[in-house]
Amino acid sequence: MISEEQQDQAAVYVLGLLDSAEAGAFESALAADPALRDFVRELRDAAGDLALSAPAHTPPASLKQRVMREIAIKAKPSASVSIQRTALTWLPWAIAAGLIVFCGVLALDRFRLQRELTDVRATDPLMQTIFFTLSPSPPAPADAKVTVAWQPSRQSGVIRITNLPAPQPGRDYQLWAVDAAHKDPISAGVIRVDENGVAQLRFRPVDRAQQVKAFAISLEREGGVPKKEGPILFAGTA
Amino acid sequence: MGEETATAQQIADREMIARIGRGDQSAFSALYDRLSGPLYSLALRMLRDSADAQEALQDVFLQIWARAGTYDPEQSSVFSWTVLLTRSRVIDRLRARDRRLRLAVVSTDDKESRADASTIESAADTADRNDEAARVRFVLNNLPSEQREAIELAFFEHLTHQEIAAQLGQPLGTIKARIRRGLLKLRQRLRI
Repeated sequence: MISEEQQDQAAVYVLGLLDSAEAGAFESALAADPALRDFVRELRDAAGDLALSAPAHTPPASLKQRVMREIAIKAKPSASVSIQRTALTWLPWAIAAGLIVFCGVLALDRFRLQRELTDVRATDPLMQTIFFTLSPSPPAPADAKVTVAWQPSRQSGVIRITNLPAPQPGRDYQLWAVDAAHKDPISAGVIRVDENGVAQLRFRPVDRAQQVKAFAISLEREGGVPKKEGPILFAGTA
Repeated sequence: MGEETATAQQIADREMIARIGRGDQSAFSALYDRLSGPLYSLALRMLRDSADAQEALQDVFLQIWARAGTYDPEQSSVFSWTVLLTRSRVIDRLRARDRRLRLAVVSTDDKESRADASTIESAADTADRNDEAARVRFVLNNLPSEQREAIELAFFEHLTHQEIAAQLGQPLGTIKARIRRGLLKLRQRLRI
């Protein structure tokens, strides 16, 4: 079941109207939901149909000649490559054999480095932290800054906000984690800024996040909501 | 939409794209003949300048040649794929222009593009395409006016949903819902 909000987001996504952070968050949801992918395909085809409503015109015949000339030029290098291939059939095999040996050396080295990296990660909390920068969308002020430091192993993070005025009475800012394993964003709690428009606090999503793709902040009813309702003011990926 | 619901034309388009992906210039020529009219009309409708529209169309077909191998039938029909490619190239061009200039010519659009003698539709164009276009126009014109208006501003004028909301004095959520409902109605009525 695709929510109305997701359907609306799909429509503006298909028309290329989402900013890069919003589009990234939507694509994460899209990757995890076959029904949503089918829905987006329907909308894409509807958008394709729309093109036919434009007043009909035909391009000049000379344009086709220009285009055909261009692709003939682009096609030529592959023809010369095929001639060389016939003459030097042994060369790819020799290169492949060399690459196999080289890849073997690289694989051993990679294994060694991965083990070292795992050891370092296990002992250094900073290495386990992923940083997200959230970009503002209207009506959020353009100079507001939001950064999230997220530690997956601890399922907690720290958010820092500057230059964000308090919301109007009866409203609260709410933080959301967009997770690959969850259909809807997971609430990470309500965030209150001080009189200088600053907030710095530790948070913990209400549900376990497997792989956080993005964080977002929306404007919600006072006290927060279990499922996002209000407009997204900030969103960003790692 | 899976293979079972694809029309004969869509299947033929996919075969052409597959051949283009293998470097088949005759398939490319056939696809150009089939799609250049609608794609050029779209580019001209958005750019309102025939020289610009021709350059955009050339870019689009070179992209089709280069990217035919990456076409994914699960994501859209070939026609929709090329329409969205065209729109994307046109938007790049519009962004490169002075935005104020673009808004200034909005109201003088159609007279200008229709008067361009070099691009007036030739009598040899297929009746099928004209029938299909007339059907889309009919369906679009019979959508609720607020849905049609939101869709046209988003699709052809490339206004953001925030800009449309401001222009029409409506909340952002209302605009998104109008675009979504309008697109779905368009799709449903064209399938009948």
